[in-house]
Amino acid sequence: MLKKVLNKNELFLFLIIILLIIILTSFNRSFLTLENWFDMIKNNSGMMILAIGFLVILLSGGIDLSFTSIGIFCAFIATDVLVSKNINNMFLAFAISCGLGILMGAVNAFFISYYKIPPLITTLATYAVYNGGLLVISNNRSFYAAELPLWYKKFGAMNIFTITKPEGDKYGLSIYFLIVISVILFTWFILKYTMLGKGIYAIGGNIESAKRSGFNIVKIQFFIYCYMGFLAGIAAIMETSILQAVVVSGVSVVDLSVIAAVILGGGRLSGGYGKILGTVFGVIILMILNNNLILIGLSSFWNEFVIGFVIIIGVIITSIQTKQKSRGISIIKI
Amino acid sequence: MTNSKIGKTILDLRNINKFFGGVRALSDFSMTIEEGEIHCLVGENGSGKSTLIKVASGALKAESGDIYINGNFYKNLHIMDAIKEGIQVIYQDLSLYTNLTIAENIAMNQLIEKNLKLINSRIIHNISKEAINELKINLDLEMVVENLAMGDKQLVAICRALTHDVKLIIMDEPTVALTRNEIELLFKVILSLKEKGISTLFLSHKLSEVFQISEEVTIIRDGLKVGEFKTNELDNDKLIFYMIGKKIEKEKYSYDEDKNKDNVLLEVTNLTKKNNFKNINFKLLAGEIIGITGLLGSGRTELALSIFGLNKPDSGHIFIEGEKVKIDSPQDAIKLGISFFPSDRTIEGLFMKKPVDINLIITVIKENLNKMGLIDFRSIKSRAKEQVEDLNIKIPSLSAQITSLSGGNQQKVALGKWISTNPKIFILDSPTVGVDIGAKYNVYSIIKKLAIEQNMGIIMISDEIREVMENCNKILLMKKGEIIDIVYPNKTSENEIFSKISGTSLSNN
Amino acid sequence: MTIIFILMSALMPKTFFSLYNLQSMAFQISGFGFLVIAQMIAIISGGIDLSIVSIMSVSGISAALIMTKFINESSSSGNVILIVILTILVTLVVSVACGFINGLLIGYVGVPPILATLGTMSLFMGVGVIITGARGIVGFPSGFLKIGTGTVFQIPIPLIILVVMSLLVALILNKTVFGLKLYMLGSNPIASIFTGINNKLMLLGTYMLGGFMTGMSAIILIAQANSAKSGYGSGFLIQSIIAVILGGIDPAGGLGSIAGVIIGILIIQMIQSGFNMMGMNIFWTNIIFGTVLIIVMIINLYLERISFREKKTISK
Repeated sequence: MLKKVLNKNELFLFLIIILLIIILTSFNRSFLTLENWFDMIKNNSGMMILAIGFLVILLSGGIDLSFTSIGIFCAFIATDVLVSKNINNMFLAFAISCGLGILMGAVNAFFISYYKIPPLITTLATYAVYNGGLLVISNNRSFYAAELPLWYKKFGAMNIFTITKPEGDKYGLSIYFLIVISVILFTWFILKYTMLGKGIYAIGGNIESAKRSGFNIVKIQFFIYCYMGFLAGIAAIMETSILQAVVVSGVSVVDLSVIAAVILGGGRLSGGYGKILGTVFGVIILMILNNNLILIGLSSFWNEFVIGFVIIIGVIITSIQTKQKSRGISIIKI
Repeated sequence: MTNSKIGKTILDLRNINKFFGGVRALSDFSMTIEEGEIHCLVGENGSGKSTLIKVASGALKAESGDIYINGNFYKNLHIMDAIKEGIQVIYQDLSLYTNLTIAENIAMNQLIEKNLKLINSRIIHNISKEAINELKINLDLEMVVENLAMGDKQLVAICRALTHDVKLIIMDEPTVALTRNEIELLFKVILSLKEKGISTLFLSHKLSEVFQISEEVTIIRDGLKVGEFKTNELDNDKLIFYMIGKKIEKEKYSYDEDKNKDNVLLEVTNLTKKNNFKNINFKLLAGEIIGITGLLGSGRTELALSIFGLNKPDSGHIFIEGEKVKIDSPQDAIKLGISFFPSDRTIEGLFMKKPVDINLIITVIKENLNKMGLIDFRSIKSRAKEQVEDLNIKIPSLSAQITSLSGGNQQKVALGKWISTNPKIFILDSPTVGVDIGAKYNVYSIIKKLAIEQNMGIIMISDEIREVMENCNKILLMKKGEIIDIVYPNKTSENEIFSKISGTSLSNN
Repeated sequence: MTIIFILMSALMPKTFFSLYNLQSMAFQISGFGFLVIAQMIAIISGGIDLSIVSIMSVSGISAALIMTKFINESSSSGNVILIVILTILVTLVVSVACGFINGLLIGYVGVPPILATLGTMSLFMGVGVIITGARGIVGFPSGFLKIGTGTVFQIPIPLIILVVMSLLVALILNKTVFGLKLYMLGSNPIASIFTGINNKLMLLGTYMLGGFMTGMSAIILIAQANSAKSGYGSGFLIQSIIAVILGGIDPAGGLGSIAGVIIGILIIQMIQSGFNMMGMNIFWTNIIFGTVLIIVMIINLYLERISFREKKTISK
């Protein structure tokens, strides 16, 4: 049973995490504190949620480069509506953001299923369109702390439970944790226990067979891209609450740490393979690296370099593993 | 499962006509399949076999003709109708989900049919368990299909077909990638299907298997039904005659070994690679055509790849014209005068989307440069034109994509590609796979000409014993990685070779 | 397909063709143009290069470091020229070295290009960030700046360089053995091995050549900006991919010509400038790119369907 739960790949990642924890803690005790971890969890909830959405798309053999644009776009519109109408309602913000996210994801799904445009190109195009669209609609105006409705700050600060340090400061496990867990469990349930989930794997495994089996390919594709949009909407509002700002800028880079986390977690670009647990571990690894290098004396300038390094090591190992696997079947496998 | 009435007709096709654009793929074709019958459809590539099964399963609509399934008349047969009536097609690619488990693959279509939203692993288990029990085979249901051997994958596909209350299973070339054992198991399964009253229609190229397992044979040529026979009314020669419409003059290849025994092009001593082959020793003389045959998995291709630099051996030596050499890459091999014709022409042999002329000269591109070292396209065109004429390749134009050529002509381009390098040693792995009989003999004469006129040393690897019998002066038999015997065609028979490499014998000839 | 675009661009208003405008467009596309060439080469080989902007960044920073360290107010003009030449060399060496790493990972280790360049993208950019501490390096000698901003007979210098290089690359791709082998590799890497093409070496060469082109772009861009920063140009990556696809390069590898890509770049630039001039919000450009990309793909799809139908009747 345990063998089924933790196959080789996930075990490997888990060990890496333990290793990282040991190394970092030996450098600086404050790494392994509850406070640090609660902080990390809160700051990286967005990445986790997006990574889960990305995994689902990857499983189907697709890819989505537009989710960052969708996220910022939705956060902007939601905030704009709230600010201009002077409403201070959290649920409305989420509703607008997620609803819009679903619509924008649907656009992706439309071109991918009806016009058969490869997902890479489609989402590249929508990334550009949404990015540009945001700039046009917002007129390059960003929202900053003072203008945001009050609840943004409240929401960002809400904790499930709070602990008070002897010095009097407080810290707690953010409510974001609940959101993340819900998303993880919900997605896990869909993938494992519904025909929809099997359909996603089927499409990623062999799309021709999936058609012949009778799966409704269009419906499934709409689900996964809309789901990504939905999750992007959630993550965006969460990020806004933390940053206390919606920053609209001319450049919007695709969030590569999300993609890196999913690939590190064992998701295959070619589709059909990947596990939620793996993705979670991948995100944790990147989370640890992203925020804690300063503990070993590396300034934050080193972040990008280290992430790049980790990705490279990760993909080298993955490539070698894939090569080994296919060695038994035929001699030439490039 | 099925309530069998004796003599019931499952599939009845009458006067089917199918056109693609202006080309007629099926001409007034009629065929019946009875309950529990094992029926084989034999024909060359392009004869209309695949079209027929697509029409019979509802994947394609015929222009005219009637289809009766289980006595029910269908004017416009849809895939779902055919499935409901119990017709299941297993295509050559098997259409399995390699990323899912055996159980999930078998049960998948049922799950969709039942319109379930939630998955119950018990349901999956039950459906799949029932299917493999029906066939009395043993498979680990939780294994992911990606890791299975070809034979097991085939069984999974058949199990999946069984879950549909199937009456007729149509298989497209089921034995192409199977080992002998797996083929025997497949035939056992087909027989047990027969016992349950389930009919099997399969398409095959391998004439020996046609005789081994089928009861009825329908022969199709150019979209026309040439005849329907009981298998025991036919023999190999008659079958080939019906398939291609003319008698083939079969000549053996004669060669004087003594006269040439000093002209050793290639010598291999004690070549060994773990899990691939062991202690390989043989010599190749100039002008010789040596055949290597054995079952799938006997190490033939692996050996050939070693000589071409793609499968480094663990120990042993290779000598080219008396000198010991190390062949670490295809470039090394080519420099030594070795050419290799790989078995999968669409993936390994040709650049399908590129034009004919580029494919023909890519191997000798360095000879077509102008004074400045740049490519001289005019010389490429003329050289390619020469090749096309020499080999009699039918092409729309020199710049046509390979995909627009027929199988046989594609094969000739793949051959021409290597012939232009003027190799001393030419290794061919399955040179006539997927090529119709007429073109096959074309290729054979090209190969023989190379050996005779250019004194090339040729190694022909094939799993069609007939092929090596007719074209080689000497045959190496391989089994489980070792050379178990060396035979001469004029002193042995197909049957004898077969029994040596497999340990059993052909049941019919 | 490219014909459609020539038509489209002909519809642009007349004011477009003023010398000043053409000049400014030419300046703008030069730096970007080299990036597109680098991307094009990678895509023809069957891969993709996500690291081009990072390579540009780190090589530009290297250049800036050398110039600012070794040149000051009192340097003699002879010295300056020497240093500038050295700078150019170093930039190219750095960028080719980065390309070498890419080529090593992709060709010899066998990492899929998209993943390898995903990693090197962060790696190279990271190096740049570490060196500069996220600040810009400014102050280059005027001679150097001329490379990016000067003109010869009214034609911008960077444009001349771009045109020369493009012709060179076109020559390599269309007329040399390397180029032909590259197209074959991109078309079918397996058959390529069996044909005796050394895939590993080819890929190494491909990405090193790409690195070289990226280095050229770095030189031009920092000369134009008179500074080198690590964040500069991040939008270029996506635009380069769009330009290549617009230009008719098959993203599956193995097809396409440099002419098509040049047209792709031109279109992007013309649209941008055109909007600028018409007083339209420049932010519309991204929207237009995305929409055009989708329209092009749809048109391609229909064209393919038509020709496929014809082919089907021939081969049965």
